[in-house]
Amino acid sequence: MTLLFKVALLLSFGMFITPKNWKYLLALTVQLMLIIPTSSWALTVLKSDTLVIDLGVSTWSGPIVLTIDALSAFFMLVINLICLCGIIYASGYLKPYVPKKRSVFISLHLFSFAWLHGAMLLVVSMRDGIAFLLAWELMSLFSFVLVIFEAQKETTLKTGINYLLQMHLSFALIMLGFLIAGNQTGDLSFNGVATFFARHKNAPLFLVFLAGFGIKAGFIPFHSWLPRAHPAAPSHVSGVMSGIMIKMGIYGILRITFMIQNDLMLIGIIVLAMGLVSGLLGVIMAIMQHDLKKLLAYHSIENIGIIGIGIGMGILGKASGNDYLMIFGFAGALLHNLNHALFKSLLFFSAGNIYYAAHMVNMEKLGGLGKGMRYTSYAFLIGALAISGIPPFNGFISEFLIYNGVVSELSNSTFIVSIMSIASVLGLVLIGGLCVYCFTKAFGLTFLGTRRQMTFTEPKEVPPVMLVPAIIQISVIVMIGLMPAFFGGTVITIVEGLLHTSSPDIAASGIQALTTIGHVNILLIAVIAVIMALRAWQQSKVKIEAGPTWGCGYSAGDFRHQYTPTSYADSLRELVNPVIDYHSNYQSFAKEEIFPKKKDFHTETKDLVEEKTVLSWVHLIVNNLPKAGIAQSGLINHYLIYPLLFLVFIGFLILLNVL
Amino acid sequence: MLSLALILIASIYFPGIIVKVKAIFSGRKGPGILQPWFDIFRLLKKGNVYSSASGFVFQIGAPIYLGTALVAALLIPFEETNALFSFSGDFVLFAYLLALGRFLIIISALDVSSGFEGMGANREAFYSMLMEPAFFILMGSLVMFTGHTSFHDVFANLHYNDYFSAIIAIIAAYVLANITLVETSRLPVDDPLTHLELTMVHEVMVLDHSGFDLGIIKATNNLKFVLFSTLCADCIIPQSLDLWVRVGLFLISQVVFAAAIGWFESFRARNKMAMNAQFILSINAVALILIFVAIIIKNNL
Repeated sequence: MTLLFKVALLLSFGMFITPKNWKYLLALTVQLMLIIPTSSWALTVLKSDTLVIDLGVSTWSGPIVLTIDALSAFFMLVINLICLCGIIYASGYLKPYVPKKRSVFISLHLFSFAWLHGAMLLVVSMRDGIAFLLAWELMSLFSFVLVIFEAQKETTLKTGINYLLQMHLSFALIMLGFLIAGNQTGDLSFNGVATFFARHKNAPLFLVFLAGFGIKAGFIPFHSWLPRAHPAAPSHVSGVMSGIMIKMGIYGILRITFMIQNDLMLIGIIVLAMGLVSGLLGVIMAIMQHDLKKLLAYHSIENIGIIGIGIGMGILGKASGNDYLMIFGFAGALLHNLNHALFKSLLFFSAGNIYYAAHMVNMEKLGGLGKGMRYTSYAFLIGALAISGIPPFNGFISEFLIYNGVVSELSNSTFIVSIMSIASVLGLVLIGGLCVYCFTKAFGLTFLGTRRQMTFTEPKEVPPVMLVPAIIQISVIVMIGLMPAFFGGTVITIVEGLLHTSSPDIAASGIQALTTIGHVNILLIAVIAVIMALRAWQQSKVKIEAGPTWGCGYSAGDFRHQYTPTSYADSLRELVNPVIDYHSNYQSFAKEEIFPKKKDFHTETKDLVEEKTVLSWVHLIVNNLPKAGIAQSGLINHYLIYPLLFLVFIGFLILLNVL
Repeated sequence: MLSLALILIASIYFPGIIVKVKAIFSGRKGPGILQPWFDIFRLLKKGNVYSSASGFVFQIGAPIYLGTALVAALLIPFEETNALFSFSGDFVLFAYLLALGRFLIIISALDVSSGFEGMGANREAFYSMLMEPAFFILMGSLVMFTGHTSFHDVFANLHYNDYFSAIIAIIAAYVLANITLVETSRLPVDDPLTHLELTMVHEVMVLDHSGFDLGIIKATNNLKFVLFSTLCADCIIPQSLDLWVRVGLFLISQVVFAAAIGWFESFRARNKMAMNAQFILSINAVALILIFVAIIIKNNL
């Protein structure tokens, strides 16, 4: 097994010398060779105990050891599932690019995809600080290469560089965290961090890690890379990045969270607040988008927010000794990682199908795609229902676990925990309602109705291979929805193991509720099937006609009268105006304009948080830097004075005994 | 099973009473109590006209709308008698099941590419988004007050026969009654009798449904009425009485509730569209007061 893993990583270099048409096959082989050993390790770990695997490779910092515990195993399985879907999807999605692109670019892309997969597997299994950071860096670098696949577009390249810089900020913060802990304990690893937490105040170091991992995860206000990078990347990459790569940030936060010993209340409130803000602002910003992939990217922030709410409530439960809250909060957050990975990659792949077929993802111009792209619309609908947390699909299960944890000990909790519980319930409900609002818009206005632009030919369904990942994802989504007790039970066991507690009562109550939900879901499907059968029976006896849509007495209606994404979002916009930055340029009619000229109308919503927290500083610096240009006079004698001044300055310092 | 039977019985006469009371107040004799259901049965026997713009979503929308309401009915208990399904946190499933039905009926409206129906869909999504928190805050405060987490346990423990539970129960019933009006698209948020498409919410969404589909949508609306009014009755009817007395009280309370809606609708104009958001948020505010009352009573402060 170890050998297979190593051979896979070596074989990936062969991508550069294989002929163009065989490259994809090699990439698939490499990824399968990564998936088989790691999945078997992960399954062993979930059944028994932590596994330590020596890869037999030694570096200057010691031998490379994979330490797989239940948390790593869970994430490994999710990584493998999503990367498998991603590489299958890529075979169809990349096909139009293969003849156009140079061979080396295709190789580099597939090589990076395999290595992103490998690096993520290493991230979750490395415990040594330096090895972890190396794996983290590999992950960021290869994902950067993947994002700039279409680097001939200037915006894509710019976005990629923005992404790379922000990822290095994250890297620096995580490194800082390890260094602080290592400096105090002499152990530059996760164990060192744990020792540090046992001896010192926890909040400062935790916040350093939270910021570092939070940039990767996309928590607001560290999110500004996310809505840029996901739309720029090709869809199989955005699916994998949004589905699982941002979860590496969550993995890091969870890993650190299970180590903290004191300051729990403070840390819990901070994580919860971040989760609530990310969840609510994420979905509000999503509603305001016209670009389908950007909308989905903002939904990633929202779902990261839900995970943050779960983790925050879990920490508060630990702080207040409320075991229900602790276990269900963490379990819900953990399960939501899997759920979000599934439906978000499903949605991104569906958006990719739209791009493949219609060559754009601007919802203002799409519409009526469901007629031509039947299967894609089924996939997107199921993804939309799942992401809105609606039964009988999987999103509901993880959100239910969090709800259940919050309400179970509500009457016995302290004032501050009660307030936080109410805030989180309120947050989750609002996020759910806004999600329904957003996805009725995203699905309804993209796939239903009539096309908004009659200029291009009707998009056709994509090749079957691009629908294969959807089948895998949907079957797991439905499985979690119909058998929630199995999946919920598994995450509860994992969480109990990580928290070193065991409370059969709590686990049993959760599993009992989930079992009933499974039964209700099956019953729901049965009831709907019976109603549909009754209707089919009734309709076989009466006349079924097709006719034009009822125009309320107005008979000249056409496709331009449909609701557009902007008009659909308008009723909410008035309510949320203070937290968004909305611009529209409306050209009103001049008084003497009897025959109106052609006008256009343009709306744009900017990210207020990004502008206030990041861009305002950047603008300040950029505006003030030219003043330093005074020193750049262009005269050689001036430039000779600068070293002299510097030497005098150093001389002074020596005189004053500073140096 | 008792609760399911009661819900079904009450939904037979509930819509008829509203219509009857409204007719009497406007000086007419009005149709019989069962007329709304006769209308539905007539629709169920008719043929369908489907818009040529519509697709598969339009086909599955109405059946799922009815299916979710039926299954949600199985989660509602009648006082201490058990619902068919009861577990910790079942009210979350109840709310989300209704959300599934709503999601499908919204996208069915968008499926026919009509600007008017898009308007209705948009409003339904917006108002229900604002309404959902009130239900959860309400249930949260009942959970906090009773210390139990399922519909059945909450209602079985709500009545301690002290003043506090009376206060809580009455405010809860008031909030639930308001939620009922919004969820079922009645006055003052939406007027089902208005015939101006620009001001309708729910009715404009189903303009293109016909025959069987329209029939089951109307049936679902009647059922949804009784789902929420049963919750109201669960809050008010005292636990200490005999079971058969309470069943009687329940059936009477449904008559009273329906008559009250009819009376309310006869003398109240619909809100201006722009006022609806404020109206719904004010219900949320009342629910928030309730939860703070619960916190104070439970001495968590």
